[in-house]
Amino acid sequence: MLTADERERYDRQIMLREIGEEGQEKLKRASVFIAGAGGLGSPAAIYLTAAGIGRIRLVDHDRVDRSNLNRQILHWNNDIGRSKVDSAAEKLKRLNPEVQIEAVNKTITKANLSQLVAGSDLIVDAMDNLETRYLLNKAALDNDIPFFHGAIYGFEGRAMTIIPGKTACLRCVYRGVIPEEKFPVIGVTPAVIGCIQATEVIKYIVGIGELLTDKLLNYDALNMEFTEFKVKKDPYCEHCGHMKRKE
Amino acid sequence: MSITVNIHQALRQLTNNQATAEVNGTTVGQCLADLVRQFPGIESKLFTKQGKLLNYVDIYVNQESSYPEELAKPVKDGDKLSITLMIAGG
Repeated sequence: MLTADERERYDRQIMLREIGEEGQEKLKRASVFIAGAGGLGSPAAIYLTAAGIGRIRLVDHDRVDRSNLNRQILHWNNDIGRSKVDSAAEKLKRLNPEVQIEAVNKTITKANLSQLVAGSDLIVDAMDNLETRYLLNKAALDNDIPFFHGAIYGFEGRAMTIIPGKTACLRCVYRGVIPEEKFPVIGVTPAVIGCIQATEVIKYIVGIGELLTDKLLNYDALNMEFTEFKVKKDPYCEHCGHMKRKE
Repeated sequence: MSITVNIHQALRQLTNNQATAEVNGTTVGQCLADLVRQFPGIESKLFTKQGKLLNYVDIYVNQESSYPEELAKPVKDGDKLSITLMIAGG
């Protein structure tokens, strides 16, 4: 049940035929895991908090650096040196005290991931490296949790939604590795992709619209072009396939 | 046979800043070989020394993934190839 304050706060989105009070209650009951409180995690967390997700668990091991501030909009100048999840949780709680924000200052590893995602209904990939993305993808599949991928580089961004057992997973699309590197970026790129991820999360929870499943959305900010690349579930996929490829 | 190749932004410095190139071939492999013929500097960004596609390069034909056996994938006149590179920033 929504409280009177919640009805007032979410009035404009409850007005949406696709959401209504029933959809708002679904958002309130949902628990979202956000991996990363940086460029993608900031906009995703802000809009999910504003939309009234019931519980958000935000995980990041990093501290705020001055060079983060061009894009990681949950962190401000006076947060430099502070834990990112503490900095983020403070802003998110001020934005919407009705949302339960859980700040977890940890490195995501293969060993702790199942425990970290336990109790979450959805996983948002807001990481900055492929290795952890693969761990998240596998954990999402193993625990049957929908997974919302996003990545950026410079003026380019990608997003894809993965429903375990039904759609292509991240490993069906990406098989290689690229070294962790200092990547170029301007804040508006993760802003767009983080918002797309948040939109997908809201749509999934409420059960509306068409998801970015079996397609990789490519955003080219320089030319302001969105391209959808069709991808397929790979039967030989290391993470979700049921067949073994011959060496 | 004319195939249009969309070049990923990160590779355009190797194609005289061209975003697209026209190539000939009946397979993805032949089209990429023609691209390399036109822009030799791009070869090491697409292929291993053994001539295999690098595992962070993805090729789409008319916006559909060409994986697996990308290089053998047939193409026809008017098709569009897109070369994309994995990205992982956040």
